Amino acid sequence: MSHEQTSLAFRENTVRALKDSPLRAAMRHATDTFGTKRADAFAPLADLEALRDRASAIRDDVLANLPMYVDRFVASATRAGATVHRAKDASEAREIVARVLSERGARLVVKGKSMVSEEVDLNSHLEAAGMEVVETDLGEYIIQMEGESPSHIIVPAIHKNRRQVGRLFADRLGVPYTDDPQALTKIARKALREKFLSADAGVSGANFAVADTGSLVLVTNEGNGRMVTTVPKLHVAILSVEKMLPSLADLPAFLRLLPRSATGQTMTSYVSVITGPRKAGDATGAKELHIVLLDNGRTEILSGESRDILKCIRCGACMNVCPVYRAVGGHPYGWTYPGPMGIVLTTLLTGMRKSHPLVDASTLCGACVEVCPVRVPLADLILGLRRRKVREGFSDPRERRGMEAFGKAAAKPALFSLGQRLAGAFWPLVRALGGKDVAGRMPVPAKTPLRRRLP
Amino acid sequence: MSEAERERLFLENAATTSAGTRSVSGTEALLSALGEIVAMDSPVYCPGVTELEKAAAPLFPVRVDDYAAAAVTVEEVFGGIAETGTLVCSSEGGRAVQAGLLPAHHVAIVRRGRIFDTLDDFFAALSGAPPTNLTLVTGPSRTADIELTLAIGVHGPERLDIILF
Repeated sequence: MSHEQTSLAFRENTVRALKDSPLRAAMRHATDTFGTKRADAFAPLADLEALRDRASAIRDDVLANLPMYVDRFVASATRAGATVHRAKDASEAREIVARVLSERGARLVVKGKSMVSEEVDLNSHLEAAGMEVVETDLGEYIIQMEGESPSHIIVPAIHKNRRQVGRLFADRLGVPYTDDPQALTKIARKALREKFLSADAGVSGANFAVADTGSLVLVTNEGNGRMVTTVPKLHVAILSVEKMLPSLADLPAFLRLLPRSATGQTMTSYVSVITGPRKAGDATGAKELHIVLLDNGRTEILSGESRDILKCIRCGACMNVCPVYRAVGGHPYGWTYPGPMGIVLTTLLTGMRKSHPLVDASTLCGACVEVCPVRVPLADLILGLRRRKVREGFSDPRERRGMEAFGKAAAKPALFSLGQRLAGAFWPLVRALGGKDVAGRMPVPAKTPLRRRLP
Repeated sequence: MSEAERERLFLENAATTSAGTRSVSGTEALLSALGEIVAMDSPVYCPGVTELEKAAAPLFPVRVDDYAAAAVTVEEVFGGIAETGTLVCSSEGGRAVQAGLLPAHHVAIVRRGRIFDTLDDFFAALSGAPPTNLTLVTGPSRTADIELTLAIGVHGPERLDIILF
């Protein structure tokens, strides 16, 4: 199903989310658990800061030389037997994937988890072309069944509790109701195994693309990524251009950081390094491998002041610690990517006009900066986007005029002092007119300003 | 890292990921361990390509050539990584890496000499073009997609046993 962007309604979306108590309980439980697990996973690492420095430096180098690494990847992957397609935007990417699949008569497509495929709204396009598209990551499977979009980039159904999933499965799959996660997992295993074995094609994303060898790297826990890329005869991978790493020797740093940051694991169950399709003498791999490299505005981001967001490796740690995300979950952000990294990426990829309320969805507390494994300066990036929002005229005109007036008054001590006295004098009136909504949110003016109490 | 230290670390780390671990010496001990681990799981997929697989295959009267239909896969894998208790499965030599994925039980034999200290050591040792598929396996298939509650055996094996030989 297609999901319209609702980022402009962020405020209304959050009001709805805040009233949803099962959602809030689920978010609290999930983000707290993630926080603890992440901390435990990093505790034994003696040289964490050095590891972050190294990973950050590798990502900086990739961005500084992105066109070169992309060209190198295309050449190596092609040499390994893959067909590489370049897509400049979402619609081109959708067209390419749909064409590759339909030209080969694919009817049933199994999908591994891919945020890039969510970004380009791939499923609805393939469905419109007459294909059955089945999400196979358990979380994605759940939300696909519900007709929702992911609310977290690592745990897509993080907003649902076990009873909701149990009812959904009983309803849609005709199985007896259970709310035991292990039993629900078994039910999904059985239903999806049939799909894997009869699928005409697998569509996956990739966590990294290795320029030197043309390899795709998939980091997964369930094994569905392995199924999608090795069981059907056709494999189509869709990924964005900035996922490059120079060489396989760079991979270990990221394999140490990504699982710990994402799920609090020392290592994920499966890391697949796929280099080209099945070759003569091989018994593993799709017979045909197509790789779609999506730009969708990234080249433009690369030359702008927000380029550091492209260092992001999609671990989701920033959202787990974000006080805004923790309270409202991922859906209010209204597009593919939520939380602090989502604020930045959504604004850049979809444009300020469609997303400007998001840049205010941060307290700038910096918790995201603390946890980011590749040192993306998220708070600075959000602040930069706020400046841009004002510059481009998307801020509230009343707020703008108010700030301009305050700026002038604050620059003149006499005027500032008068303002302080007036604020104190008018406070009872403000409280009476604004009610507890205003009075509760605003600090009570001090009787004697601090400036006069200091020696 | 000494050989003994490396082996100890490999087994210890593998055990923390819920994999079953054993260390055996000699073919006889290997076969007896395999007999106990595989027990009633049937049918068995055992590629019978490497020397150890050839020795192991006769243990299992009901074998299948189609791993998708097997209850258990018994195979010798490419190697292991001590740092994380990880198995390295490679498509090199015409091996079906997904054979360790589809059955509910995966039994992997790793030779002692094939354990690398760290992930870095493993990737540094890869020279030239990598094989079509290289899969690092750490513990059984798992998910925490429902309420972050760990569930084992989603699409891959729910049981992973490692025998260090």
